[in-house]
Amino acid sequence: MADSLSPAFESLFRTEYARVVGIAHRVLADQAEAEDVAQDVFVSFYRSHPANVPYAPAWLHAAAAHAALNALRGRDRRSRREAAQALPLDAAAVTDDPAEVVAASETRDEVRAVLARLPERSAAMLALRYAGLSYAEIAAALDIRASSVGTLLRRAEDAFRRELQ
Amino acid sequence: MNDTDIARALGTTDPSVNTDDALVRFRARVQSDGIAEVPPVARRRISSRWLQGLAAAAGVVIVASALTLSGVAGSILQIFEPKSVVGVPVSQSDLNYLSQACSGLNLEECMGAYGTFVWTTPPQPKEFQTRGQASADAGFAVQTPTSLPSSVTGNPRYGVINRSSATFTFSADSTRQAAARQNRTAPPLPADIDGSKLFITGGPAAVQIWGAPAGATGATGAYPDVPTLIVGQAKAPTISSDGVTVEELRSYLLSQPGISPQLAAAIRAIGDPSSTLPVPVPAELAISHPVTVQGVQGLYIGDNTGIASAVIWQKDGMMFEVIGSFTESQALSIANSMR
Repeated sequence: MADSLSPAFESLFRTEYARVVGIAHRVLADQAEAEDVAQDVFVSFYRSHPANVPYAPAWLHAAAAHAALNALRGRDRRSRREAAQALPLDAAAVTDDPAEVVAASETRDEVRAVLARLPERSAAMLALRYAGLSYAEIAAALDIRASSVGTLLRRAEDAFRRELQ
Repeated sequence: MNDTDIARALGTTDPSVNTDDALVRFRARVQSDGIAEVPPVARRRISSRWLQGLAAAAGVVIVASALTLSGVAGSILQIFEPKSVVGVPVSQSDLNYLSQACSGLNLEECMGAYGTFVWTTPPQPKEFQTRGQASADAGFAVQTPTSLPSSVTGNPRYGVINRSSATFTFSADSTRQAAARQNRTAPPLPADIDGSKLFITGGPAAVQIWGAPAGATGATGAYPDVPTLIVGQAKAPTISSDGVTVEELRSYLLSQPGISPQLAAAIRAIGDPSSTLPVPVPAELAISHPVTVQGVQGLYIGDNTGIASAVIWQKDGMMFEVIGSFTESQALSIANSMR
């Protein structure tokens, strides 16, 4: 029974929690939901991997992206609308114009729909990159060569733009 | 739309999180749900650590088979040789119980809860540069996939584990002492089992690994040595007994207080326990179902997050497994391309 966490796990949690939430947040645009995903990701890791394995950060990053994308695809239309209304775009947050807020919210909703439609690896790559991970960290998380990240990322960005148009 | 626009679309600001609060929430959740932590691994300087881990994993599978499978009365007889594999769902409570009983996954400690486990020929992994060298050392033709997904690149590394053997002697004293250390009372070991021996052999086994960096020790470094693809092939393990019977072993295992009704039912449902290798599948973390691979029935196991897949099958006296970050169809395609 888990009376306490090992120092190794607590250290891992403190080091990686914010980043795991950040990755999930890029996908979900909802902090509460992103933190729920982060909790699930850490529970999955905790029950199945020792905390001090060298692949821990990469595993958590990949799991955050995939779990958030799964959560995104699981949203129904109603919940997506609620999320959009609750979380306006950064630009919209500084305006009081209700029309702009609604327009920005719809854009954000559309962005999430595009992410949900993209191939899994492309969507995960965008989430990881725009959450601030380096090419080396993305390569480790997605188990691809670091030299391939640039090319694959450009393809993912192109696909994202096409889907958004 | 340029990169800045994409960044803006995906959100440019990181959420402000309170890690202390999150840690409190996490701690409460694992405690209330009874989720046990996998103990941190001991840091030791081991060359080819991946091979050492593999040997330990192989040993766990072999001994797990011994615990869940059966024997026949009489002199030393072969009582187990897998002809097929089946998934056995293991719940979190089962894992918690096993974790407590076994002090983690250390093989000797785990088996020490029930008796004395001694390697008579310990597994000694070796690394090779070519498939030919691996085949020569293993004593069988090492099969390799002829078709790989684009995510799998480069040449594999080869490892071979020699044919290994171990003897396990059941001990009522060890069982009592292990239970006492956990402040619980185990069902008494039947007199027929106390002192009886299992003779376990496994391998040789050959492993091919794509994607793990050469020389990775697992001891340092910011990035993982997680392989892209692992292909394993081994002579099927066998277990012999000097007297313990099928029903005695199975009944004793099922009488353990921590075994869930679901796991007990799954073990009881194994039709021919002398030739069926049960593969534990964590119920909350993974799914499994039978698949046809290489013309025989095998087992597909998929991680719920979609990150990992495994296909395991037995054919012509050999066990095979394909493990990696693939979809089910990709994993099956790799498995079916093995030649």
